[in-house]
This record gives sequence, structure tokens and C-alpha cells, in this order.
Amino acid sequence: MGLTILLSCFLGGLAIGLPVAVTLGVSSMAYLLHEGIPLVVIPQKMYAGMDSFVLLCIPGFILAGNLMNAGGITARIVRLARALVGRMRGGLGLTNVAASMLFGGISGTAAADAASIGGMMIPGMKKAGYPADFSAAITAASSTVGPIIPPSVPMIIVGTLSGISVGKMFIAGALPGILMGVAMMVTAWIIARKKNFPRQEWQGWDELGHAFLGAFWAVAMTAFIVGGLLIGFATPTETAVVASVYAFVVGAFVYKGLKLRDVPRIVIDSAISAAAILALVGLANVFGWILVSERIPQTIANGVLSVTENPFLVILLINLVLLFVGMFMETIAALIILFAPLLALATGVGVDPLHFAVFAVLNLMIGLTTPPVGVCLFICADIGRVSLWQVTKAIAPFILTNLIVLMLVSYIPFFSTWLPSLLN
Amino acid sequence: MQRIIQALTGFARIATGISFGVIIIAVLVQLAGRSGLIASVVWSEELTRFALLFLTAFGVGLSYRSGNLVNVDILSEALPGRLPWALRLICAAITCGFGLALIPAAWFYVSIGVRQTAPSLGVRMDWIHAAVLVAIISLSLFAALRVIGMLTATEDGTPERLQEDH
Repeated sequence: MGLTILLSCFLGGLAIGLPVAVTLGVSSMAYLLHEGIPLVVIPQKMYAGMDSFVLLCIPGFILAGNLMNAGGITARIVRLARALVGRMRGGLGLTNVAASMLFGGISGTAAADAASIGGMMIPGMKKAGYPADFSAAITAASSTVGPIIPPSVPMIIVGTLSGISVGKMFIAGALPGILMGVAMMVTAWIIARKKNFPRQEWQGWDELGHAFLGAFWAVAMTAFIVGGLLIGFATPTETAVVASVYAFVVGAFVYKGLKLRDVPRIVIDSAISAAAILALVGLANVFGWILVSERIPQTIANGVLSVTENPFLVILLINLVLLFVGMFMETIAALIILFAPLLALATGVGVDPLHFAVFAVLNLMIGLTTPPVGVCLFICADIGRVSLWQVTKAIAPFILTNLIVLMLVSYIPFFSTWLPSLLN
Repeated sequence: MQRIIQALTGFARIATGISFGVIIIAVLVQLAGRSGLIASVVWSEELTRFALLFLTAFGVGLSYRSGNLVNVDILSEALPGRLPWALRLICAAITCGFGLALIPAAWFYVSIGVRQTAPSLGVRMDWIHAAVLVAIISLSLFAALRVIGMLTATEDGTPERLQEDH
């Protein structure tokens, strides 16, 4: 009965539009009241969930991304991407994907990528003769590569939940992120050839050199984050804060696009964005504690393993569950609720936790581009001034591409475990 | 009413910003200590964790107001007529009620901290546990302001987006 109350309140809260964090809190409160457990469990578990050194990465990387963006990085990244791949058929589509991959090395969240790159690329693509629905669709699809390429806010959450090294997860995401980006570029190129989209003129080596120099300090930040983790110079938390300071120095004194008077506002707005995630983590920790107390993870794992112990089928089942949930639920909430039960199931058939973490995050990123609750889809449809239905149709080939990449990453551990193995 | 909202928002923004500032300085001190630039300090990790708790505590109400505390509104906002407005009002009232109902439990949790002391900073833990109480009060306060704003027709209950989110 207690569990029925918990899940009914949870689904009811989501349906009426209650914030996900509050929904988790209210449903946990209803469960505790029904079971006669003191409500002090809520503040206690909230505190325990938020009191984590690893979570410090979140405000740090959000601030670094916002400072870089305010410093004029987006235009420089787009210019570099255009100089690299713009001359191919459908070059602006490829530029869009390349820019998302470069931007993903800075921001760590897909929504930030969709809004920043989309704000610049979607109007530009429309002006150059690309259909609005394609422009919005490719921006939404490619923005999901951001949290796969390090840094990654969802991976920080996974690290907090499971104790898996955040540094190793960041490194583990690099190859799948590149694979995803390249696969989307191929898809965009095929669509461009079929629909005869325009081709940009080759702008010459001079432009490529200038574009590279212009974006050098921004691209160097990704190298600095990955390199810092690889050589062990700093922990992910320290890297996040140093990246913020680096972004401030580059934005204000190198690119000179960041106005000093805007810095306090950017710092506070970044902190508010981070506070929302941290509050979600805190309240989800209460919800997660109830699920663990009710032995839900073990029950699910045992139930599935009693039907099949075939790793192929179990991985397929995990992916189907995550894809379905990702269509309806916010990424971080889905991770907090589902990661532990599904990790128990995955490790039960011998899947490496690091490997599982990467394909779970990749899977939930696909959910950001699918209706009914696809945040990146909404952002890009809004920027492109096209209906959700039009973008949904246009994004279908890219979702298919991402599903193929997901299958590759899920069934071939090499993609996610090879680079971290070099750390050992 | 607008003055009260502005004053509360201004206070919460400053407190959130100060918490973030403390985090940045403490992590840089920690890194400098580990790199041998200055003598290593033992309190930096504890201070950053505590500052993060207060960043969340002061920021959560603001994140509710700005819509960063995400919700699934595709169903509720697709309803006809005044129903979306009514659901926004109900959600704000539930959020406010949730916070208010938790205040006694949070106060009890704070009082437990009297018996504990942070190992390296040496501060009594009730001051740190108070972050949860502040978070709950902040959330219910901004939710209450939304309820009042909607009932007095000074706002429609939709989020006021941050400049960074535009």
C-alpha cells in the first residue's frame, strides 16, 4: 500500500505540473506518513544527498560554460566548425554538429548547448536556404552530444549516486561522444545530398588558421579538463572551479567579450541553475532511500534475472526501459530513481559499472529529443519558429542514428572502457 | 508586494552569490595547498561542502521562481481555458504546503546538530544543518509569493526566466 501511495503521488504530481523535485518530496512525505516513519528522515536524507564534494563540479562547470558563452565563444566555435566542414554538401548542418561537439567540451548540459548553438545556427541555416525543421532538428539532435563529451552534469550525478569515479566517466564518454558526433554528421550529409542542400565555398587555409586561433583558448579548455584528469593534476571538482577561473580570464581578457559588470549576474544565475539540480538530488535521495528500503532494486534485478540471464537480452531490456522513461522524465530525476536498480541488474549479468554508466547517460540523452518531454526539441522548435510536430518528423533520422550508436556503445564495451583503462 | 518580492529576491541572490564565492576561493586555496604554493590547509574541503549546501538553500527558492526547478508541463499547459492557471496555482500551493509541513521536522534535524561539531572547521553542526531549514523556508516562501501574486492578479504563475536562460 505504501508503495502504491508513493507512486500514485509521484505520477499525479508530475501530471499536474508540480516541479519534479517537489513531486519527489511530496510523494516521499506521503509514504512516510502512511508508514508512520518520522518526517525528520526527509531533511536528514536531503542533507546526506547534497553533502557531497563531487557535486561541487555542477556549479563549477555551469559557470564555466556561461562565462565562456558570455565571452563570445559560441561565434568562434561556429566559425571554426564552419571552416572545418562547411564546404561539404549540407555544410552548415555538419558545422552545427561539429560546433555542438566543441561546445559540449565546455558546457556539460544539452539544454545549454541547444540554446547557445541553436540561437546562432538555426537563424543562420534558415537564411542560407536550409528548411527550418531540418535546422531545428539537427541542432536538437547534436546538442545531446554535450553531456557525453566531458564534462557532463549527468555523469557527475551518476558518480555521486554510485561512487564510480567521475574522472573515469568523463574519459569514458569521450569516444562514444565522438562516435555520436561523426554518425550524426554522416546522417546530415546523406540527407543533404538527397535533398540537395547548399554547399558553402571553401574559405581557404587562411580562414581555417584564423578560425582555429580564434577558438584556440575555448577548445584548449576541453583539452585542459581532460588532460588535467588524465595526468591527475586535479580532481573533477577542482577542475570545474579552475575551468571557471580560466573561462573568466579568457572571456574577459583574451576574447574581451565578457563585461566585468556582467560577471556577478552570471555567477549568481549559474548558482541558481546549480541549486535546482542540487535540490533535486537532495529530494531524490529521500525517494531513492525509500526505494532501497523497500528493496525495489533487488526485486527488479531478481525478477528480470529469474526470467533471463542472457546479457544481450538484459542490456536490451535496460535500454528499452531507459528509452521509455527518458521520453517522459527529466534526465537527472530518471538517473536518480533508476540508476541503482538498473546498475544492480547490469552488474548481475557482468556489465562493467563504468560501461553501464556511459550507455545509461547516452540513452537518456536521446530522451531529450523525443516527444512528449524533449527539452532540446522544445528549445530548438522555439528558436526555429516551427511546430513541435515538424521538428519531430525531421529529427527521426537523427534519433535512429543515435539509437544505432547506443546499440554499439551498449554491446561493445571497448568504446567506453578503453580510454579509462589507459588511466590504470 | 513587488517591493517585498524584490527585497527577498535580492537578498537570496546575494546570499547565493556569496556562497558560490566561498566555494571558488576555498577550492583555489585547496589546489594551491596541494600544489605546494602555500601551506596545505585541512578545512578547505569541509568549507566547500558547507558552502555548497547554503548555495542550494538560498538558491532553491530562486530556482523555483525562475523555472529552473523543472516540471513536466506538457499536459497541464495543454488544457483549455483557465485550467492551466488553476493547476499552476494548485502546484504553487502544494509546494508551499510541502515546505511548511516540513519545517518542524527540519527544525528537529537542526537541533540534533547541537551535539555534533564539524571536525576541521570546529563549528557546531546545527549551523550547517540549518541549510536544510533555509532551503525549505526559501522554497515555501517563494511558492507562497506565487500564490499571492496569482490571487491578486499581479502574476500568472509562469516562471520568470533568468537572463542566462534566454
